[in-house]
Amino acid sequence: MVWLPLYGLFYAAVTLYWARIAARENGNFETFFSAGHSLAPWISALVLAGASLSGWAVLDGAAEIGEGGFGVPALLQAGIALALPGVFFFKRLWLLGQRLRLSSQGELLRSYYGSEFLVAFSALVGVIFAVAFAGMQLAALSRLVEGLTGGQVSAPVAATLLAVVLFGYVVIGGMRAVGYLGAVQAVLAAAVLAGFAGFALIGLGSFGALNAGLSALAADPGQAGKFMVAGVIQFTAGVGREAAAGHEGTAVASLTIAFALMGFQASPLAAKVILSTRSPSGVAAGQTWVMAGAFGGLIALCMASLGAAAMINPALGVAGLLTNLSPWFAAWLFIGLLAGVQLMAGLALLTAGEAVVRHLYKPWFHGSLSRRGTVTLTRIVIGILALISVLMQALTPVTLSVLGALALPLAFQLWTPLLGMTWMRWITRPAAVTGVGFGIAGVLLTEPFGHAVLSFLGLDLPWGRAPWTIHSAAWGMAANIAVTLLVSVFTQRRGYGEEAQEARRSLHGTLRTSPRARALKSTAWAVVLAWLFLAVGPGLIFGNAAFVGPEGKWLLGMPSLWGWSLLFWALGLGVVWFLSYKMEMASPLAIDIPAYEPRPRLRRDQTAAERERLRALVVTLAVGFALIVLTALSFGG
Amino acid sequence: MSTSGPIIERSILIFTIWAVLGFFGLGCFLEGLARDSWSISALGVFGIVLAFVAHIVINGVFATDFTRGETVLGIGSYGLLGLVFIAGAVGGGMTMTDYYSGLTLFGVLAAGFLAYLFTRHGLRGAFSRFHVKTASAQEGS
Repeated sequence: MVWLPLYGLFYAAVTLYWARIAARENGNFETFFSAGHSLAPWISALVLAGASLSGWAVLDGAAEIGEGGFGVPALLQAGIALALPGVFFFKRLWLLGQRLRLSSQGELLRSYYGSEFLVAFSALVGVIFAVAFAGMQLAALSRLVEGLTGGQVSAPVAATLLAVVLFGYVVIGGMRAVGYLGAVQAVLAAAVLAGFAGFALIGLGSFGALNAGLSALAADPGQAGKFMVAGVIQFTAGVGREAAAGHEGTAVASLTIAFALMGFQASPLAAKVILSTRSPSGVAAGQTWVMAGAFGGLIALCMASLGAAAMINPALGVAGLLTNLSPWFAAWLFIGLLAGVQLMAGLALLTAGEAVVRHLYKPWFHGSLSRRGTVTLTRIVIGILALISVLMQALTPVTLSVLGALALPLAFQLWTPLLGMTWMRWITRPAAVTGVGFGIAGVLLTEPFGHAVLSFLGLDLPWGRAPWTIHSAAWGMAANIAVTLLVSVFTQRRGYGEEAQEARRSLHGTLRTSPRARALKSTAWAVVLAWLFLAVGPGLIFGNAAFVGPEGKWLLGMPSLWGWSLLFWALGLGVVWFLSYKMEMASPLAIDIPAYEPRPRLRRDQTAAERERLRALVVTLAVGFALIVLTALSFGG
Repeated sequence: MSTSGPIIERSILIFTIWAVLGFFGLGCFLEGLARDSWSISALGVFGIVLAFVAHIVINGVFATDFTRGETVLGIGSYGLLGLVFIAGAVGGGMTMTDYYSGLTLFGVLAAGFLAYLFTRHGLRGAFSRFHVKTASAQEGS
């Protein structure tokens, strides 16, 4: 097969071309981390939509529908679910970043809350995205390469090649390369998603044939459950402990999976893109028309079609299509898929590398590190992270997927500190920190990773993954919110740091909503809650039979839940538009934001303290490792 | 090439268009040849023409022309593919569908190119794009 290497070489050449352009613009290292805050708003909109949805939609979303059917309709609302947090946060985060001249989530958290724990947690989330979440998708691509080449290129070799290309353009061009190339990658990935769906439909004959096939499946009592939500909630002990009746896809499972998806927009990856953008003027259009409209529509229609085709004929899944199509189309589709995955992976690697070096290593252990040295060290860390990811893909795929599953629910726990910064000013520093801590515990205790760690230490939990069919993101958030509320109540008298006070003043002074928007506030709450209830929440139960005739015939010619999801995708687009523009939550802002000048402070020599911290870190790591080994030897199985 | 903001944004759009429409068109054209179907090949030609139209629209939006690199790449590719087509036709290994598909591609692209030059530069201006005066003629004028 000559086409795949040919297209692959062309893709690699294009990435290096853009990396070179970006490096020249960067002046090698001056604006490596945030592209000089100069990315065009339309580029950021495409990068955000592409990074959050494209690779996931083809590799995971379609596969889940292919295996489980339409039982989790939240998957089809991913475009809206991801646009909503963008509408809530992005404009305000950009304003804070611009006022305080910050370029990453870690810096924002340190500046506002003064909490090293939150900074470290944000860095950890970035690393999990870079190594495990992206690694899972790259591993899936490597297996596809192995299949496409008939085993001539093994999966580990393919993983190495893909990682080299990724590493190359990220370390050369930094955030600017991720942005420039990301815009191309996002559109290509979106086109390829439509292409996959188109080829799947051609394989079946037509859209009518697809629905006829689905109808035949639904007539089989053994398969009928795939076209229904399995109740509002099931009080089971969780996957691995107690199976749910029918399947795990209850309405509450859908709602909480939508919450998990929303985690991406609270992750340091999304913040990186927003804070590298030159103006917030594209947030409304980006979230409404790109994320919710274009990508949301592709997911509700094309991803669903691709998954549904695989339900009827597994050979029409992604792997089957790539194997059976003409080589030039297979190569084009694969490159598009690769582009979507590398967009997210590149952004994650850069964010994680920056977080580890700029937000952890430099302030704690090496304050005198120069800017050039920081960029060089970040490049090395990016290489190490990419290498770890490749090694884990080849050697420990189970650990990789267990870790990767933590990325979204953990990122979702960052909602509370972000809400504190942007909307809910009563969330105090101790409340945000404690809330996130409990949120992490909630996630870990309901995810296989936590179970595996506790089991290793000799503790067996009486529940499995997602007990009561509730995703770990929601278990974590329940603990997070409860603790945040409680602690906030008791710590209201605690003051805020100088920069946090300035941030609060700045947001309050800049974002004065118009009387019309204030008058629509209760309407906005009502439509958002109604949409959440009906589109991804308990109201999904109505979708089971909403478009089913008296004799069980599908009134729309397609599964009732699919029709319901398409209807609520269109209504969700309206909700996002309403919030963005009419409620002015993401509307364009045409004012100049001057930089905040903090009071001059005397800097003390930190060398001795940094050396002491490094020593303490080494000792803590050694003692911790010894304790874990001892505990495992004593109680572990 | 200058690397100022708008030029880069234009380049991103150009890459995007060709990555999507260009490669889809190429795929359809090749599929048509493989399946001996002129209509599929024509769909591919339509995709490529659409990419050119979008390219020209972007040039209009950013008030630029084709860059030197784009011109060289376009004419070079056209010449190379034309050569392959002629070699194939002379070799006699082509079916009638292949023959018509090739003629459609090259004919439509040539006609489109001329139409672009005439509408953008006028008849006289289009000729002047290729008419290079020699040094002696320039001195004499």
